[in-house]
Amino acid sequence: MNSIKKLPLGTFFIKVILTLLVASIIMVLLGTSPIEVIRSIFDGAFGRPEKIVKTMLIFLPISLASLALIITFSGGLWNIGIEGQIVLGAIGATWVAKSFFGETLVSPIIQVIVGMSFGALWGLLCGYLKVKFNVHEIFGGLGLDFVATGAIIYLILGPWSRSGIASTSGTDIFPKESWFPTISSLNIPALSIIIVSIIILILILFLSYSRFGLMLRATGINPSSTNKYKFNSNHYIYLAFILGGAIAGLAGVFQASVFYHKLVPSISGGYGFLGILVVLASNRRILPTLLLTFFFSAMIAGGSQLQLRLDLHSSLISILLSSMVFFWLIFNSSKVNDLLHRIIKRN
Amino acid sequence: MKIEINNIFKAFDEVIANDDVSLEINSGKIHALLGENGAGKSTLVKIISGHQKPDSGNIIIDGKKLRLGSTKSSIENGIGILSQDPLDFQNLTVSESFLVGSKKFGPSLNKRKIANELNKIFAEYEIKVNPQIRIKSLSIGERQQVELVRLLFENSKIIILDEPTNGFSLNQRNLVFKVLKKLNKKGYVIILVSHKLDEVFDLCNEATILKNGTKVKTVPIPFDRKKIIKLMFQEDISKIQNHSRKTIPPKNQFISIDLSKWKLGTTEIPQGSKVGVIGLQGSGCNQFIRDCFNKTVNISLGNGNNSIIPPEDFHYTPSDRLERGLFEDLTIKEHLALTYGDVKVIKWSNIEKRANSLIKEFEIKGESNSYAKQLSGGNQQKLQLALIPKTPGFLLLEQPTRGLDVKSTSSVWEKIIERSSRDFGILFSTTDIDEAWERSDWIICFSGEKITSVSNKSMIKKDQIKFLISGVKD
Repeated sequence: MNSIKKLPLGTFFIKVILTLLVASIIMVLLGTSPIEVIRSIFDGAFGRPEKIVKTMLIFLPISLASLALIITFSGGLWNIGIEGQIVLGAIGATWVAKSFFGETLVSPIIQVIVGMSFGALWGLLCGYLKVKFNVHEIFGGLGLDFVATGAIIYLILGPWSRSGIASTSGTDIFPKESWFPTISSLNIPALSIIIVSIIILILILFLSYSRFGLMLRATGINPSSTNKYKFNSNHYIYLAFILGGAIAGLAGVFQASVFYHKLVPSISGGYGFLGILVVLASNRRILPTLLLTFFFSAMIAGGSQLQLRLDLHSSLISILLSSMVFFWLIFNSSKVNDLLHRIIKRN
Repeated sequence: MKIEINNIFKAFDEVIANDDVSLEINSGKIHALLGENGAGKSTLVKIISGHQKPDSGNIIIDGKKLRLGSTKSSIENGIGILSQDPLDFQNLTVSESFLVGSKKFGPSLNKRKIANELNKIFAEYEIKVNPQIRIKSLSIGERQQVELVRLLFENSKIIILDEPTNGFSLNQRNLVFKVLKKLNKKGYVIILVSHKLDEVFDLCNEATILKNGTKVKTVPIPFDRKKIIKLMFQEDISKIQNHSRKTIPPKNQFISIDLSKWKLGTTEIPQGSKVGVIGLQGSGCNQFIRDCFNKTVNISLGNGNNSIIPPEDFHYTPSDRLERGLFEDLTIKEHLALTYGDVKVIKWSNIEKRANSLIKEFEIKGESNSYAKQLSGGNQQKLQLALIPKTPGFLLLEQPTRGLDVKSTSSVWEKIIERSSRDFGILFSTTDIDEAWERSDWIICFSGEKITSVSNKSMIKKDQIKFLISGVKD
């Protein structure tokens, strides 16, 4: 049902192996053993139950950001404004946590509603600029990212500053009632997992089985044909930004109330931009996107171990991640694909 | 000058586009490459131009082997392509476009010198274009002329024309053909890719016929037309061309078309008529069809009391099928799901069944999972027709057979005619007098933006049309 042609499995694995090979070469060049690095990343991500939970906490917001981007990419939109939408979601959640709802049990649900609405509005603003004023969504989104970043710093240092001192280390910790419910002593984020699963399911149904989803994809491929099919492509641009913004906003809620339990300046964690890489590398398909997100989350979670164990700077992980995506995109390009095809055919 | 093409083989996945194609073309002969849509002409041209690399085979120019798959090498060896749609820089002026990529003028920009040189060369080939004008303000025909001159200017010795006359007026075509004949005498190798037999007979001395990727035969021209068609399609074409033209029984109902924008009042035509809107390329005939769709031109039912045709009963098919009519990355099935019903949830199994029956009915070469971009032009057009609901409607078809070969054209018309008796009416635009004459009951002539005639076919003669569309009073 997806618009990108499926590749034969053989070439897929060859490309994965090639990408890992490049990553290994980079590690060797940096003077470390790939096997050691992989082992410590694996330990760091899955070594103990609580580490798996931590990996999960990283996975949830990135997967939401990626799903949001799948929606906007389906509509043919470059939603660079996703970072801002995440930030707005986090601001929404903090607002609820600081209000009188914050100390009631309904707080998480209200946070979800408010955070998603904030993100959706921020996305819609970008769509409105595009449709009404012909501002390309990349510029509009980038501008709105800056505004959101400015807003969050203002809030943290100003109205929502910690009692006594204003510090960029964030606001006060949210009241316990505002933390998302977890189970067992490991604090497994049950509610968040349920919410993300529901969203994944809805999204699969939406994109593959609903006419709205199909019309959204049609808009993304060729807006000038839509008028012939008697629907208005602008409505679907709005729809994409509202849905994408809402899901990105939810990622912000998770960052604030599930991960940090407070609002910090770098609340988005760069997950919006990471999401763009993930979605591009997996050809905008949902399941590959989730798998890749999981892989990335494990790398990020395990990467913190590198410094402790191998005395490598933890920034090595972002170097590895970004160069792997970079080479994956090269190996995935049509030229290399053709070449691989030919080699496989010959053998 | 001589170009030898030896044993070219090229496959895209499972589809073999060129299967062991060999031919030899000498200067002094204008050579035609003939074949139906999908015969492999374009692939062969792309291989010669270096845009595609063949899987095997070679090309030899004057005894020198051409490096394949490199456009640079092709250009250096004097190969110039005039493609279907002019490949030029719309925002530049004509003289600037000659400067881009040219090493002839050196690093300095002496505009006067360039303009002088261009005026000289334009005069030589009788081209009336001001070098200072922006390319986007030229007609497609003029742009092709300029592009042709630019190829000569860049020392192309082998000129390949890939269906270049789609946007030409009769006059421009004659002019370009004159230039080509002149060049031919000077020793250029000229290859015309076309499926318009008239053109080929006008211009060429020999023709190679391709079919399903293989070379069928090279024949001298003049040659028996029927035999060529037979070679192209390998089946008896008489069936295609001798369809009986049925005139529809006059109905009491009329449709009225509001032409007040052209100060012509309201025209009433019998319901179920096929109205051909004819004009030269670039005239208002296509815009007229679009105006009818977006209600700038009002069409209603009945005489006088004007009952309105509901907007959902107007069905429009644009001439640039992939740009404005279809979604290149959606499948046939998905197009169908977009078109049918107001259901929110798509039942793919039902859609699949429907798609398969439509594919069969409209003889679309493709599967329900084929992407629109994988279909040939004729099949894309048939898909557009297949997507129109079967209920009576008003069809607005913008150049429904643009770029299609004889066979696809006739099967597209077959499908249009099949439903025309049920429809309120059909408006179609065309630039082809024969098509307008053969397929319509009423004819509207456009000269530029002006309507020069609206009449029942019985009221005008075919010979008048060319005057009516060129604005010349006879």
